[in-house]
Amino acid sequence: MIGLCSNWINHNLCTGCGTCVKICPADVIRIDENTKRAIIKYSEDCFGCQLCKVHCPQGAIQMTPKRHMMYPPPLGWR
Amino acid sequence: MSTTKTVNCDVLVIGGGVAGCFAAVRARERGLNVVLVDKSYVGYSYATRFATLNFLVFNPNEDEGALNTCLKAVALRGEYINDPEWTEIVLRESWDRYQELASWGADFCRSENGSMFARDVPPFTTVRLGLKGVGPACRERAETIGVKILDRIMITDLLKSGGEVIGAIGFSLDTGDCYVFRAKATVLATGLCSFYMRNTGNGDALAYKAGATITSREFIFVWPWHDPNLDMSLAAARCVYMKFIDAEGLPVKHDPRSEIIDLSLEFLVHEGRAPIYWDLDSATPEDVERMKKRMLSHDGYMGFDPNRGGKIRMFGGAWMLLNSMGGAWLINKKCATEIPGLYAAGDCAGTRTVGAFHIVSGFGLASAAVTGARAGIGAAEYAAKADKPDIDEEELINLKEGIYAPLKRGKGFEPRWVLEIINSIMTPYYIYAVKHGDRLKAALTFIEFIKDHIVPRMYAKDLHELLLVHEIKNIVLNVEIFLRCSLFRTESRGTHYREDYPRRSDPEWLAWTKLRDDGGRMKLWREPIPKKWWPDLSTAYEERYPRRFPGE
Ligand SMILES: Cc1cc2nc3c(=O)[nH]c(=O)nc-3n(C[C@H](O)[C@H](O)[C@H](O)COP(=O)(O)OP(=O)(O)OC[C@H]3O[C@@H](n4cnc5c(N)ncnc54)[C@H](O)[C@@H]3O)c2cc1C
Ligand code: SF4
Ligand code: SF4
Repeated sequence: MIGLCSNWINHNLCTGCGTCVKICPADVIRIDENTKRAIIKYSEDCFGCQLCKVHCPQGAIQMTPKRHMMYPPPLGWR
Repeated sequence: MSTTKTVNCDVLVIGGGVAGCFAAVRARERGLNVVLVDKSYVGYSYATRFATLNFLVFNPNEDEGALNTCLKAVALRGEYINDPEWTEIVLRESWDRYQELASWGADFCRSENGSMFARDVPPFTTVRLGLKGVGPACRERAETIGVKILDRIMITDLLKSGGEVIGAIGFSLDTGDCYVFRAKATVLATGLCSFYMRNTGNGDALAYKAGATITSREFIFVWPWHDPNLDMSLAAARCVYMKFIDAEGLPVKHDPRSEIIDLSLEFLVHEGRAPIYWDLDSATPEDVERMKKRMLSHDGYMGFDPNRGGKIRMFGGAWMLLNSMGGAWLINKKCATEIPGLYAAGDCAGTRTVGAFHIVSGFGLASAAVTGARAGIGAAEYAAKADKPDIDEEELINLKEGIYAPLKRGKGFEPRWVLEIINSIMTPYYIYAVKHGDRLKAALTFIEFIKDHIVPRMYAKDLHELLLVHEIKNIVLNVEIFLRCSLFRTESRGTHYREDYPRRSDPEWLAWTKLRDDGGRMKLWREPIPKKWWPDLSTAYEERYPRRFPGE
């Protein structure tokens, strides 16, 4: 529930198979009704586990392990 | 918006990690009608899917002496509050579960030295895992033998009738439909509570709400985090190379007999010696080679270059509450809880396999697999004798209203904001790791307020947020349990450090904490550990407890 990463989906490669939607443990991804392609709908809840990327059969998901938050999530110390 | 679907079965398993899959498979093997439900996707979610380090095994060809050596090592490192009966069961049965998982196609792989078995932390033996881990193979096995799998359904409450658990209720993340499960026996296998992943402590919360006793939740497992600007694959490399330095460049001493860092980083930070760095500059060519091989065993997943040198800044950690330390109290070795019809397995079952310190990571999966298999058998036996469950329709209407209320509320507090607040109260090292009675009480004051005032007023704009609301509700309950157990244990032991009580207190605290709902309040008490499992109290304190706490 901590947004750690930003990821995006290459819509030229994505076939809309829905694997990533099922697999994302944070329930972050949806298939867009119009384009029939996957979208990162709730990116603020992505915790960067990379499972979507690992399991996408088309290699359509890219991740930048850069935080898209202004500050890293609250952790034990800094 | 929602229609109600009723699902009848003999055994309902909630949670499809390794524990839930084993439970479902075992019950199904006995010819029963088994349903396995998961809020995410069975076999591909949560702790089981992320466990890609190793699986603990004890080879049955080794003699009893070797078993005793392992048992002694767990007792010493777990500081004598493990349950040796469970430790022995997990060790003895780990081999069969490993073989079974391998036959299902789990992703076991060779270690860096080419052997199938590694001895990173003697006397324990582990098998390395590849990137796929054990989860996907578990799902396939469950499907093959006819377990009915229902994905993406969040269970919010257990159903009870006459003091017995008779199933559960929840909602679909896709359609919003309400699902009512009527079962003769129910297995909880919903994993742990952590602040970094979306394991939200649903098992402890469901068990607690159903009146079960929870044990030993004061102990934590810490996992320091690196700069989130770097590729996460370095986490794999870090497992085989653990050199840290403090702000002045002095090496950080942590327990070399453990693969898992104890609280030593937190103690240094408390002394004012942050920032702490992962010191890649001191890596020898052999270290680099080992890191590369470790990362390669992750399907060649090499986002991070271990040869890059430099010092990588560490941030304080994600912590989690693991089964091998606490969870729902079990009344027998078939994983029955005190509530008839309710079984618990995996990270939400309070086996206390490792006691106060998690010595080597393979224990997590092994004890989840072992308890899962046992719970499946226990639940199947119970179901074979149980009558068809009778559901109280009025209770159902109330529960349904509770599930969907946040969607109808339209005002109040946003779930993400609530989570952020809980995180900022709980994640500072001086709350979860370097504890003090005053600070624990302060945190508890806030958490109680959040529980009473904010949680009932969270609202959700869609089904995704409805999931967040229910998860956060459970997190708050878990946090309260953690704080109360931590306050109750007025000593330090393992990963439970109290600055105001920095020594172990024998024999007073050779005991397990227990907690239960008592008319809306949490009632705590102590369960003394049988004397036969005590350490020899005539030996010197320093000998009994080789690890030192600051200020003791
Ligand atoms: C990052 C990480 C790495 C680890 N590495 C290792 C390792 O290398 N070796 C090792 O031995 N151990 C490791 N562990 C520990 C180990 O993974 C766990 O002890 C073990 O997987 C627990 O299995 P489980 O089946 O109890 O729980 P989980 O695998 O967490 O499964 C719980 C399931 O329940 C579902 N669920 C939860 N709540 C609900 C609900 N309300 N309704 C429906 N479904 C629900 C979840 O979606 C999930 O699928 C690791 C843990 C983590 C977090
Ligand atoms: S798994 Fe890949 S191809 Fe399938 S929907 Fe997701 S991004 Fe598209
Ligand atoms: S990285 Fe993990 S949490 Fe983020 S979208 Fe992918 S699967 Fe979901």
